[in-house]
Amino acid sequence: MKLLEKYNRLNITATILIFIIGSCCFYFLLNYILVRELDEELRSEQQEIVAYVNLHQTLPEIIPTKNEYTFYEPVSSEQKTINLSGKNKYGGEQEEFREIHFTVAAQGRIYLVKVAIPTETTEALLQAIIGITIVMIGLILLAGYLINRTVIRKLWQPFYQTIEKVRSYHVTDPNIPALEKGDIEEFTLLNQSINDMIARVQHDYTALKNFTGQAAHEMQTPIAVIRLKLDMLIQNEDLLQKNATAITDIEKSVQRISRLHQSLLLLTKVENKQFLMNEQVEMDKIVIEKCAEYSDLAESMGIAIMTTLTPTTIQFHAHLADILINNIISNAIKYNKPGGAVNVILHNNTLSIINPSNTGSLDLEKVFKPFYRNGNSQEGTGLGLSIAKQICETAGYSIRYEYSNARHVFSITFS
Amino acid sequence: MKILIVEDEPALNRSMLDYLSSQQYLCESVSDYRSAMEKTELYHYDCIVLDIMLPDGDGLKILRSLQDAKRNDGVIIISARNELDDKITGLKLGADDYLTKPFHLPELSVRIAAIMRRKNQQGNNLLIFEEITIDTEGKTAAINGKNIVLTRKEYELLIYLIINKNRVLSKGAIAEHLWGDDMDLADNYDFIYAHVKNLRKKLSQAGAGDYIHSIYGMGYKFANH
Repeated sequence: MKLLEKYNRLNITATILIFIIGSCCFYFLLNYILVRELDEELRSEQQEIVAYVNLHQTLPEIIPTKNEYTFYEPVSSEQKTINLSGKNKYGGEQEEFREIHFTVAAQGRIYLVKVAIPTETTEALLQAIIGITIVMIGLILLAGYLINRTVIRKLWQPFYQTIEKVRSYHVTDPNIPALEKGDIEEFTLLNQSINDMIARVQHDYTALKNFTGQAAHEMQTPIAVIRLKLDMLIQNEDLLQKNATAITDIEKSVQRISRLHQSLLLLTKVENKQFLMNEQVEMDKIVIEKCAEYSDLAESMGIAIMTTLTPTTIQFHAHLADILINNIISNAIKYNKPGGAVNVILHNNTLSIINPSNTGSLDLEKVFKPFYRNGNSQEGTGLGLSIAKQICETAGYSIRYEYSNARHVFSITFS
Repeated sequence: MKILIVEDEPALNRSMLDYLSSQQYLCESVSDYRSAMEKTELYHYDCIVLDIMLPDGDGLKILRSLQDAKRNDGVIIISARNELDDKITGLKLGADDYLTKPFHLPELSVRIAAIMRRKNQQGNNLLIFEEITIDTEGKTAAINGKNIVLTRKEYELLIYLIINKNRVLSKGAIAEHLWGDDMDLADNYDFIYAHVKNLRKKLSQAGAGDYIHSIYGMGYKFANH
């Protein structure tokens, strides 16, 4: 629920409640006052009659008016004076009356006098008041709604702007969003805090990035030394003969470490968006080139590479395009069935690379995760597909893996 | 053939010096920017192996001064930074090749040989080993004057072996040379075996001697004994 909505709900509920309670109180109070007013009138009427009787020893003549009805009834005994409300047909129609009943002695007899005043006018007044109240509630709600719609939305504008900027912010993005100061204290505080936070994050990130870069470069020299010394060492055939297995293992491990290292560096660089995707790259040509490069190897493994290519030019980075295709095709050759095939299809801006599996489906969730390997395979760096995924993501393309009919299908959509 | 090695890391410097010296190159080596500048100003080299990250200066400046002096010494950059920009800048400044650390010594040697061949354009594009002749311009190989048909990889492999003759070459180094270093497949050396087997077969069918020796599962050696 939006803050505004929540606030509105509370506000409207409270307004309505207050108005209802207020109206009720107002109604009862007004009713009470009006009834008292009528009673006052009735009492003065009573006093007039009593005074008249005392003076003339006879009851006054009844002059019926629309606003007042008087009746005399002989009764046997004196009664207390009472005020009451009720419906009667004094004027021919059923109406609401306020009445006073009292007894008076005249000409040696006791009479019950009833004086009734219709309350019609009072009711009309009350109805008008209630009507006005309801209209007022409506107007207040409408005004509140309109204010919220226009003013509050406007007032919250800086907040939504901040949210929009924070949402589009990415730590690797060199464009740091500028959050301005506004004239509203809360938003200024928010923007300031976010600015501070971004500055801290940016600082930490840069430090980490520099560290990673430096560490990687620092590692490169020792690896280079090991490699070169090993190249020299194996020239000593006596030594080699005695330690063939050990030296072969060392050689393989160094090879592996250096490739791992290079892959990590590349992955970091792609993640850091150090490549600009502003080249027009003819994907079909790159695919043809890569397939030609691998044809010897595939042939030696009894694997056929088949291509169906539509000329496709996309916005990309030539070197990354090369690595992307390389990683997927080399996997398709490596994890193939003996005597299998690799199908490369480039059509409708989608590149699909399909090969029969030698092990079954890969883990759909983990297939693009770094260091994921299917089963116990120790070959490769475990980074090839991560790099491919990262390249696609950075370029804004999508890469998917499917397993169908016992075949691995990697599809990249360039759009 | 004179080579200058500019590398600040002593162990690397030493290994390159040893390896290249043993290949009948006349090698000198320096380990800082200043002495490198001095050397390049005083002498001409057929090839300069240049580390562009030196403690006391930017190796690219050496390249720039060579370019300004219109020198045509071959230059091969070696760098710990595998940055595309560095590579492009280096090549623009007149470097002939670019190698990223870590690399294999036979790889360096093959690259230097290629630069040398390009620099000495006077019909010296023939690589000869006993009865094998390779014409690097026409990209053909012949045994006793008779051309043999090789695939591109076999051709590259043969050049690599001949240039690094009498050396033990690890399978890893061969794989990297043939496939580049961004290839995960190089872990699997079976296909190198396949290539070597095919090449050996083609050479012996054409009447060449058996020069490819397998060395203790480690790799191969191309030698006449």
